[in-house]
Amino acid sequence: MTAPKRITIKATRFDPDKDEKPRLQSYEIPFGDESMVVLDALNYIKGHVDGSLSYRWSCRMGICGSCGMMVDGVPKLTCNAFLRDYWPRPITVEPLNNFPVIRDLVIDMGDFMEKLKSIKPWIIRKQPVPLGGGAFVQTTAQIDEFRQFSQCINCMLCYAACPVYGLNDEFLGPAAIALARRYNLDSRDEGVGRRLPVIADPEGVWECSFVGECSVVCPKGVDPAKAIQQTKLDTTMRFVLPFGNRD
Amino acid sequence: MVPPPHGGRLGGEAGTREFGWSMPRGWWTRRPHYFWYIVREFTSLPLALWLLWLLVEIRRAQDGPTGYHPHSSLGFVIFSVIVLLFALYHSVTFLSLAGAILHFNVADRPIPSQLIVLSQFGAWAAASAVVGFVLIYFGRT
Ligand code: SF4
Ligand code: FES
Repeated sequence: MTAPKRITIKATRFDPDKDEKPRLQSYEIPFGDESMVVLDALNYIKGHVDGSLSYRWSCRMGICGSCGMMVDGVPKLTCNAFLRDYWPRPITVEPLNNFPVIRDLVIDMGDFMEKLKSIKPWIIRKQPVPLGGGAFVQTTAQIDEFRQFSQCINCMLCYAACPVYGLNDEFLGPAAIALARRYNLDSRDEGVGRRLPVIADPEGVWECSFVGECSVVCPKGVDPAKAIQQTKLDTTMRFVLPFGNRD
Repeated sequence: MVPPPHGGRLGGEAGTREFGWSMPRGWWTRRPHYFWYIVREFTSLPLALWLLWLLVEIRRAQDGPTGYHPHSSLGFVIFSVIVLLFALYHSVTFLSLAGAILHFNVADRPIPSQLIVLSQFGAWAAASAVVGFVLIYFGRT
């Protein structure tokens, strides 16, 4: 009988109370099942080798957006990164780039949450509509206007891929701008004017120099780079056209 | 072995300490996409220099054709050819992105992005032809 395949995982370890800086630790684990993903490997390490390894995850199916890490230097959902695509080479798993590290593979997402909040990601009406006022009817074509930008799962892979955010964390960033566009394009929304000060700010869309890597790594096809460039064009039009639909 | 990319510093009080991010030097050499992005950005620098030079030439030519000799040293020609290649690279990469930027609906249907890119290249070719015609036609005498 042949010995089961094995694979080496090099994972970042960082204990803020003991370590001066993060370091990589190697774990050699069995790789018996072709359907194993990087998250399964981390769970194996936690369950059988070293229970102190810390990382975030939840759904294991690319929905919750919590298992994002750098896999061989590329931001990925670890529940969607198959070991078979890397074997027999070792795989390096690190916390997402561009964020402070709290412990091991866990990053501090506080800045991202603040940015999401800052673009007011909810439907804003100028006049509140009473509950009895009936449904907001929306056609499929109207939904199609923003559908792509509503697919975001807040995994932050786009932030980890963006060198502009890595160099200047004041930048509003890809997912927040895509989400702002999602609401601005929604036929039920009237809040563009209230989002404009944040998105048209120099640290908003204008900080982006169109590297495009955010759209490459996005696991949901949101294409935040497209959202940003379209917002640049829209905000410019609102500014230069005499009746630029300012509200 | 890939070194941990975190080039940052330890910060915060005990119990809430975290390791801050700072961009490692040479980050743009780590992925081909980053490298080509830097190349794209860099191409505008020689282009700007060449345009500055053009302003100087226009100033030199202000007294009319008599006594004006365009700069034609071999070094300048080589520089101009390199700048032309940079300009082409910059324009092609920029226009190819137009499909992501422009967003039009005709009869409630979005125009495919390939068509938008194609129209941008068409407009570029037309503008180049007009400029070329003006320069050649009026520069004959
Ligand atoms: S835009 Fe894409 S990569 Fe960015 S947070 Fe949303 S799903 Fe993740
Ligand atoms: S565990 Fe939920 S997206 Fe990976």
